[in-house]
Amino acid sequence: MNHGAGDAIRSDADAERSRASARLETTIGEVLRFGTIASSTMFAIGLLMMIAKYQTAVAQLLLDGGLIILLATPPARVMVSVIEYVRERDWAFVVLTFIVLLALAGSVVAAYF
Amino acid sequence: MRSPLDPEYRLNTTRCQNFVPRAKRNYSFEGMLKGITAGLSQPPNTGSIGRLLTSTLAFVIFSAGAVAGGLGVALGLGGGIFLVPFLTLVLGFPLKSAAAISLATVIATSSAVTAQRAGSQLVNLRFGMLLEVATTAGSLLGGITAQFVAESTLQRLFGVVAIAVAAVMLGRINRRNVILDTTIDPGRLGGRFYEEESGGVVTYRVKRLPIAVFASFIAGNVSSLLGIGGGIIKVPVLNAWCGMPLRAAAATSALMIGVTATGGAIIYFGRGDLQPLLAAPAVLGVQAGSLVGGRLAYGASVKWLKLLMAALLVIVAVLMFLRSTQ
Repeated sequence: MNHGAGDAIRSDADAERSRASARLETTIGEVLRFGTIASSTMFAIGLLMMIAKYQTAVAQLLLDGGLIILLATPPARVMVSVIEYVRERDWAFVVLTFIVLLALAGSVVAAYF
Repeated sequence: MRSPLDPEYRLNTTRCQNFVPRAKRNYSFEGMLKGITAGLSQPPNTGSIGRLLTSTLAFVIFSAGAVAGGLGVALGLGGGIFLVPFLTLVLGFPLKSAAAISLATVIATSSAVTAQRAGSQLVNLRFGMLLEVATTAGSLLGGITAQFVAESTLQRLFGVVAIAVAAVMLGRINRRNVILDTTIDPGRLGGRFYEEESGGVVTYRVKRLPIAVFASFIAGNVSSLLGIGGGIIKVPVLNAWCGMPLRAAAATSALMIGVTATGGAIIYFGRGDLQPLLAAPAVLGVQAGSLVGGRLAYGASVKWLKLLMAALLVIVAVLMFLRSTQ
């Protein structure tokens, strides 16, 4: 963010918040990239094995694992956000992020009980 | 039994005949089909799916995902609004399992797109996190109600949403990006990002927060009921009423739909409506389609694309209404 005239009038607090936000964005990007690549790779290999009828038990495991990683990626992103907001001592957002995690936990409860 | 809409009909009776005996040996596949049609009193088109073998069905779902994902990227929508009608109307899946498969593709798209955009500061993490409280609450409620609502009610609801999406698309047919003054203070929820076209920093403040929260709740609810991302509801609202530039609204919505869809998808998965064998080709197809669609979108006339899609959505809505009265 070294562009434009608006930067000159920024306060230090604003700059610090912007740095923290950029840091969080990078970490989140890494988490999401890992989840996408891992789940897609497992899906692709599992599906090809399933079609070739080669080791279908392993294929099923890969497909299940891929789906679970896919479903776990967004909650992992939310957890990374909690950690960052705790570091920033931004308690309002720590609480908000926790509520999102609680709602996701609520889905698990609704799914299995 | 065989719907004239069913492109697999011809495929099935001509080229793929020699594969049919192999399909019968695939026990996991037959068990899966029993699973997805168990909830229906009269499974439509099961005959035609039943005769398709794993590789053909996987290929058909992959292709449908690719087309839906490609169109989705070109229009700034998720692929769900096209994938769900294909799975229900053409392949005869119950809406619940079509929605579940589509939600898996929504999560994949959200993660992939946001990973790609990381560092651009287009995504407003704080505002997104705040609105996610509303979307996940909505999706949790939607996921629970989907278990109790009749198939025909879901089909009618999908019809209504498809009409609404078509109307929004036509209404925004000539809409351009909003660019704001760079000197204002973004406030606690606003944001700033570098915009390539204008070569400057765009700053915006968030206005009318209650409207944004309410729209997010509805988007989350509809998302897990129907298997769409919900961006089509949030993005226009955030852009038109809440002061967010279109690109920031779309990027923030793309981040949010992952968590929103997860809330619904977990419920479908736990209830056995989300089959990995069906989700995998759909997810891979949508990923492939959005890679290609992103490139093609540059050359295409978005205006004609929007008109075409609006017409297609109206047809989808009519077919959904017809199916719901059967």
